[in-house]
Amino acid sequence: MHSFGVPSWRDHDLTFDPSLPTEGINVSRVHPLREALILVFGVIGVTVATVASIGFVVDWVAPSIPPKYEVYLFSDWFEAEEPAAAPKPRAEALRAVLDRVSVHWPDSEYRFRVQIWDQAEPNALALPGGTIAVTEGLLDAVTSENELAFVLGHELGHFHNRDHLRGLGRGVGMSLVLFAVGIGGGGGAAQLAAIAGQLTQRGFDRDQESAADEFGLGLVAAEYGHTAGASDLFEHLRATSDASALASYLSTHPLHGDRVIRLEAVARAAGWPLTGERSALGSKLEAPSDPSSETEPAADPVSTE
Amino acid sequence: MEDAMGIAVLQVGIPLALLLLGYFVGGAVERRHYASIQERELRWRSLPAVNFRTVPGGWIVDDATLVLGNVVISVDYFKRFLAGLRMLFGGRVKVYESLMDRARREALVRLKVETVERGYHALVNVRMETSQLASGRGGSGVAGIEVLAYGTALKLRTPPT
Repeated sequence: MHSFGVPSWRDHDLTFDPSLPTEGINVSRVHPLREALILVFGVIGVTVATVASIGFVVDWVAPSIPPKYEVYLFSDWFEAEEPAAAPKPRAEALRAVLDRVSVHWPDSEYRFRVQIWDQAEPNALALPGGTIAVTEGLLDAVTSENELAFVLGHELGHFHNRDHLRGLGRGVGMSLVLFAVGIGGGGGAAQLAAIAGQLTQRGFDRDQESAADEFGLGLVAAEYGHTAGASDLFEHLRATSDASALASYLSTHPLHGDRVIRLEAVARAAGWPLTGERSALGSKLEAPSDPSSETEPAADPVSTE
Repeated sequence: MEDAMGIAVLQVGIPLALLLLGYFVGGAVERRHYASIQERELRWRSLPAVNFRTVPGGWIVDDATLVLGNVVISVDYFKRFLAGLRMLFGGRVKVYESLMDRARREALVRLKVETVERGYHALVNVRMETSQLASGRGGSGVAGIEVLAYGTALKLRTPPT
């Protein structure tokens, strides 16, 4: 160590005494994982509470919006881009099945429309304003009229319970929450909130699907006198999809197998016969037998209104 | 279903991988840096570096010059993520404290090395500046922090022995 003799710093007598910085004063001695745990669970807790609160408020408000006002707001959202000059036979036949089911919900304030979407994935949607969209893939997958009637009845159930509006409201609420978290805490925080929020929404989604199933089953039972065929579609789909525990957790809809069991239980409780004759689909609805016609580009979604 | 699974894996997997990378690699980098800082602080501890603005009386100064010690340190994803969550609630951003501490001490050590290598004996009027380097085009996002230490290096008639 070197020395400066007697360094006098102007008015003071100071000795140079070199020392090392002290550790632990400018840096908090907290394990980063402890800090991470507190913050992550804090954000998850706040997100779940906020998204759930929005969900409950939306569920409370949505049913009080008159269907007429909803139709007024959304009627031109899902119009076919070009009104089909001559409605395709498949859409007409689909419309006929819808009419058979919807007469059993006489006090509906909607004027329903159907659209066929050119997608291979079997799916059906209830869109705001009273439009039911069915994919070509779903029409190809169903084997009886009862099966199709239940799908349409399920979508009517979504309208009956105003699920499409509730879903829309929750979606908007969720976006606002994520936007706010993103502003406050950046991308990482927003991602964490998105995961927590989506899992919270799953509970709402599944309750809705089960309620729509029950409504649809009631319409099918009223039309055909029995519920045979209603759950056939889920049996077909279950055969082609593998359902792991993770898939079940992430899915918005209950698993196909669970739905079959639940539908049976609902029918039994209501005293609807589980067996009966299934009605044929009719040639206009059946899957095209010529494979070349399937690959031919389909027209825009057809509105039969 | 498979699409949904794929999206979920991407949505959860990529940030999780970045968090683990930040925690383990970033943590190891920080431990190594601290070890290096402590070793060099010990080596250069006897070089006086003070923030007095004037030369201590009794020193005979032959030469004086400006010397600089500068460092830029980046934030790992783990620290950035936690700081983001902390910004929602407020409070001490503890994960950034070690970052600032390392940067200040590294800058000071470099200042001393610069002083010695240029043949000077002591430092007065030592100052520090901090700035944040932004990564985004709009000036958003932290790419890293810069600490600049500067001071007046003195060449003494009777160098310390």
